[in-house]
Parts: sequence; structure tokens; C-alpha cells
Amino acid sequence: MKRLLLFLAAFIALPVWALDVVATTSSMGMLARTVGGPQVSVTELAPPDRDAHMLQARPSMLRALRDAQLVVAVGAELEIGWLPAAIKGAANSAILPGRPGYFEAAAQVPLLDAGQTADRAQGDVHPAGNPHVNLDPARMATIAGALAERLAQLDSANAAAYRERAKRFAAAVEAKLPAWKRQAAGSGGAVLYHKDGIYLLHALGIPLHGTLEPVPGLAPTAAHLETLAGKLKDKGRKKGVIVHTPYQPPAGAEKLTSLTGWPIAVLPIDPPSGANADDYFALIDRWVAALSK
Amino acid sequence: MQSRALLSRLPLIAAMMLIGQPAVADDELKALRAEIAQLKQAYEQRIAALEKRLKEAESTPAPVAAAAPAGKVSAGSDFNPQISLILDGVYFRDNKKGGSVEMYEHIDGINHSHEHEGHDHGGLERGFNLRETELAFSATVSPHFDATAMMTVSSEGDVELEEAYFDTRSLPYGLKVRGGKFLSGIGYLNAQHPHQWDFVDQNLPYRTLLGDHGLLDTGLRLSWLPKTGNWYTQIGFELLQGKEQTFATSGEDTPTERADGNPLAATAAGELSSAKAGPRLTTLFMKFGPDLGNDHALQFGGWYARSNQHQEVHDHTGENPAALVHALEGKGKVWGLDAVYKYDAGGYGGKGDFKLIGEYLRLNKDLKIAFHENGALVGQKRDFTQDGIVLQGTYGFLPHWQAGVRYDATGLTKNDIHGPAGKIRDYGKSDRWTFALTRQIDHFSLLRLQASRADLWVEGEKEKVNQIFLQYQHSLGAHGAHSF
Repeated sequence: MKRLLLFLAAFIALPVWALDVVATTSSMGMLARTVGGPQVSVTELAPPDRDAHMLQARPSMLRALRDAQLVVAVGAELEIGWLPAAIKGAANSAILPGRPGYFEAAAQVPLLDAGQTADRAQGDVHPAGNPHVNLDPARMATIAGALAERLAQLDSANAAAYRERAKRFAAAVEAKLPAWKRQAAGSGGAVLYHKDGIYLLHALGIPLHGTLEPVPGLAPTAAHLETLAGKLKDKGRKKGVIVHTPYQPPAGAEKLTSLTGWPIAVLPIDPPSGANADDYFALIDRWVAALSK
Repeated sequence: MQSRALLSRLPLIAAMMLIGQPAVADDELKALRAEIAQLKQAYEQRIAALEKRLKEAESTPAPVAAAAPAGKVSAGSDFNPQISLILDGVYFRDNKKGGSVEMYEHIDGINHSHEHEGHDHGGLERGFNLRETELAFSATVSPHFDATAMMTVSSEGDVELEEAYFDTRSLPYGLKVRGGKFLSGIGYLNAQHPHQWDFVDQNLPYRTLLGDHGLLDTGLRLSWLPKTGNWYTQIGFELLQGKEQTFATSGEDTPTERADGNPLAATAAGELSSAKAGPRLTTLFMKFGPDLGNDHALQFGGWYARSNQHQEVHDHTGENPAALVHALEGKGKVWGLDAVYKYDAGGYGGKGDFKLIGEYLRLNKDLKIAFHENGALVGQKRDFTQDGIVLQGTYGFLPHWQAGVRYDATGLTKNDIHGPAGKIRDYGKSDRWTFALTRQIDHFSLLRLQASRADLWVEGEKEKVNQIFLQYQHSLGAHGAHSF
């Protein structure tokens, strides 16, 4: 009898998943796990080794979204090519945009490059602003706070736990920021393939000297790279670093290296799938180390 | 800093001027004046430059000031409908002096004589052609409904409402209702618009068995996504009007005259029933997809469509005065199987990705002669059966470059008409090989070169038909996401 009671007690005390969360990228998955803790079960849709902007909807995404209680998306049109179709096909009214079950990270923080002319002559522009907020730890801390509030709204029983974890994440970011800023202080700046790292550069005060793409979404051209190289040399400043992600082709960066002698760093913009906060901080460490050389 | 240095030097120069020194020689005075004039000019230029910089700084806010207000969900629909426009044009040549277009429209088969109304996507001329421009609007109507309307405008300016439907948003249990005029959920390719095709033109089985658009009709759909573990499952049921479909047409009039102008034979007898009330066409479709991770996506489907009334009138007396006018009615049914596999290599610009699509369709019309100039034949059974297949694959061999190959056939294993005493007619199998090279110029534009070689049975003759297309496509406006 006593054993049975103990067993029952253990069963009741076991953490029960309260919420089925679908995150679009591994950064959002990290945030959902960090804030949601054992009260959430997280599925990630976009693998970190490819461009979340170019993904296509898959039946398995619809399957995951069908039962989700909360979708954690980056937003600002990053997932425009597939998430709206996947959500529509999932026939789940709880996660439609505008409902509490739909959360966008980019909607919680001020965005860089917002309010640009909505002119596609300027490439694949998104007037809402640059969506790649995940590389700014301070913005991620703000987003964690907003996510905790959203989780609290959906699962009020664990509200305090969500808020507590978000606070802990924000505190960890705050503790790490000064060291990152110190390390980055002497940086010669960076050239990015696409403006996907600008939030981190901005947060650490690292100058962005240009992008390998002439306009967003267009592959680097020889003429553009030569102009860019000319500008970098003209400045006659300390050498910076050329950064591209593993899924962006290396040719443009290699060409610019040959013209300027700037080193190349290949860095992912999202942590590995299933990442926790430490994996995310490790990713920021990698970026800061590469940018500070 | 230089401007400030100038400013600090200016009073000194002014003081020198005020004090005046008669001892100073005229030449020196002149030189001094020239220098002052120079300095003044430089000073004014710098002030102007500073003012300009100030203005520029005011008009371009600092990055932090440019930040968007927090809280606006970008995926939310603004009140204005999302509008998108697809421009599509082709350069076209063939080996039949332009006659191949006509041949494709008259491929031998059980639907051959069935002249159904409506426009065709053909009408191509050798040389430059502007194909139909697609214009789509979509928006959220209310918390309960989304709505979409899509129209096409031909190069002559003819507008056709292709699709106009609502979708429910708030039904529970994975249920969804669509109502209006829409492309049926049968098959994989049926619901795709021409701008989603991997090839310039419609495949043979769809074209000959369902029509240029595929199955497009007015009615209601109920679809359901049951909870099936890791498997994606969709089950759909449609009630459609059954209007002007190859196997669902009602309201045809009993012939009262011949196309060649002669009166009907005295032996004519029988009549077509009046149109049954709709919906006369029902479809049932199922799709299954296992979860194969991030690189692979697979989906199988099966479907069945059935009409409870189908009527067709055959009058070939225009071409052949010996032919007898007759009309048939009965039921039509089509079933199909489809499979799609997509591989996402994760490379840049779709490099290494490939996609394979296969569909099989089989159409059967189970009809009876309802009217015939030879009245003795009225009541006789006529059983029409035709099947077709399309197999196609695309491969991203370079970033933003895609190669595609397609084999399609109609009348693959069956293309015949049976009467009570056995086979009356047997049409041949028409098939085609198509090769396409697609260059995605940017996110919104593409160029495609396509060549096809077909063996078509037309009027009992086998024709070797080659076609070449060079196509461009541009997508303007808020181009929405595509489903799988």
C-alpha cells in the first residue's frame, strides 16, 4: 500500500508537459526550452544548417503544427515563404497569427533597418525590419521576458516558473555582455555575406563595412566585390573579418580575401538543434572571438 | 576641427584690419586682403558643408531611432488584401508550322468529341506570346474566415474568375471547410496554378482526362487532419456542382438539328433527361506523409471522384455528313494515385535539391445512349475508359539552376469504348518526353527553356510533334507562401 502511494506520489510529482510548442528555428527552440523548462515539449521546424528564409513547407511541419499550442516564430517575414502555408494547412485555430498561440520574437523588440523603402529594386527587402534578432543577446533577453508572459497566459499554473527562468536568462546575458563588449572593443569591423549578423555587431559596437551581396537576396558580383575591396583599402584601417554562414557559398568571401587580405570566418547564425542557453552563449562566444581577431 | 581653427583665427585677422598699420606697404595690404578673402570664402564653404551634413543627419535617423515599434506581428494580415500578380510570357516554336497546338487539343481519346465550353490555355502562336496574367487577392475576412480570389487576364483582355473561395479558420479537431469555386484537392498537381508548375505546359493526363485546369468546380470541401502520431494525414471530401467537367456535365439539350444543316433522320428517337439538381460531383481524397526528418519529405495520395449525372452530345456531321447525331448520359468516375518526394540538400540556391512527382489517373464514363438518329440504338450501353500517367523530376544542378525531365502519357493502358457486344473503338497511346532548364534569376523572376518530343495520335494518325518554349515569369506584390 505504502509502495503504491509512493508510486502514485512520484507519478504526480513527475513533470508533466503542459504545452506543446513548435519553434521555427533552433534559436527560438532554445528560447522556448530555456523559458518553458520541463513544462514544454519543443519541436523545431527549420534545421540550423540551412537558410530559414528559403525553406519549403513539408507535411511533417503541418503534422507538428496540427497539435501545437504555441508557435514561437522569429517573424519580420523571415519565415514568410513557408510558415503561413504550413499554419494554414495545419487546421489549428489556436496558432493563427493574432491568437495567443502565435508568438513572434521580432515583434517584441525594436528592429534595425526598419522602414526601408518597399522597393524590390533594392532586392528581397523586408520593410518590417531586419528579422535576424536572434544574434543579439540583449534582445533575446527581452524576447525571453515576453515569451514568459505568453507562456504564463497559456498556462497560468506555471506562470511564476516561466517568469523566473526568463529572468535567469536575462541575468546570464547581462553578466556576459561586458566581457563580450570588452573583447570586441578592438575589432576592425566586419563584412557580412547577408545582413544576418548585424544585431550582434550593433550590440557590441562593431562596425559593419558592407555585405558581399550587392542587395539582399542577390549573389555577390565581381564588380560589387571590387568596389567593396576598394572601400576597405581606402579606409586604410585595421583589418576586419569577412563572415558568412555554412550555407552561403564561399566564393564571394574568398574573392574579397584575395583582394583585401581580410580573414574569413564561417559562422552559423543559429545554435545546434535542441540547443540550451549555454549552447547559445557558446555560439555568441564564437562570433565574438571571430570578430575580435 | 579645421573650421574651428579658422573661426579662432578670424578675430585676429579682423583686429589686424581694424587697427590698421599705415607703415605697412600697399603690396602687403593687398596680399593680406587677398588672404582674408580666401579665408572668408573657405569659411563660408565649410559652414555650408556643415549645414548640409546637419540636414542629412536630421533626415536619416540613427539606427536605434529607426527601430520599428515593438508588438506588431508581421505575419498578421493588414486590412488591405494581399495582392499578387504573375506575369508569364513564352516564345514558342514547333515542327508543325504552329499546328502542334491544335494537335494537342485533339489528341485521340474518349473525351475527344466532348467540346466543352470555357477558355483554353492554348491559342499559342509561333513567336512571342503573352500567356494569362494571374491576379490573386487574399485576406482574413473575420476571426472565422479567410478568403481568396484569383483571376486570369488573357492577352486579349478576357478576364476569368479562376478561383474564389472562403476557408474557415476556427473549426476544432483539425477540421476545415472551403466553399466557393476552387481547384479540387484531388491528386498532387491538381491544386497547383501554372506559376507553380515545373514545366511550361499542363501534363497530358490532366489535360486529356480532366481538362486544361484540372478539376476546377464550385462547391464545398470538408477536410480533416486526424491525429495520427508522426504521420501527416489529410482526408478531404468535396461536394461539387459537376459543371462542364469532362465526366460531369449536365443540362445538355437533346439535339434538334444537325451541324451540317440537314434535318435529323426520321428514325431519331430518345431524349436526354433534364439536369439533376447539384451537387452532382463528389470527391474523396486522402494524403499521407511520414516524418523523414529535415532532408526528406514524402507524401502519398489516393482519390476518387464520381458524378451522378453526365451528358454528352456527339455531332460530327459538320466534318462527316455520314455520321449520326447521338447523345449519351450516365455516370462518370475518375480515380488516381499520387506520390511526391522532395530532397532538400540544404545547399545554396537550391543546389542539390531534387523533387520527384508521379501520378496515375483513370477515367471511366459508364453511359447509355439516350438519343440517337438511329432510334433502335437508344438504351444501348457505352463504356468509356482512358488512363494516363505523369512522372516528373527536377534537380538543382547549380545554385538557382534547375533541370527537369517529364514523361507523360495518356491512353497508357486503356483508351477505348465498349458497347454491349464488346470493344467498339480503341484509341492509341499518346506520350511525350519533356526537358526543361530553369534559371531562377532572383526570388521573384525566372527564365525557362523547354523542349518536348511527343508521339500523339490525332484523328487516327500518329504525329511526331516537337515543341520549344522559352518562358519568363515574374511575381509581383505580396507573393504568399506555397504549400507542399
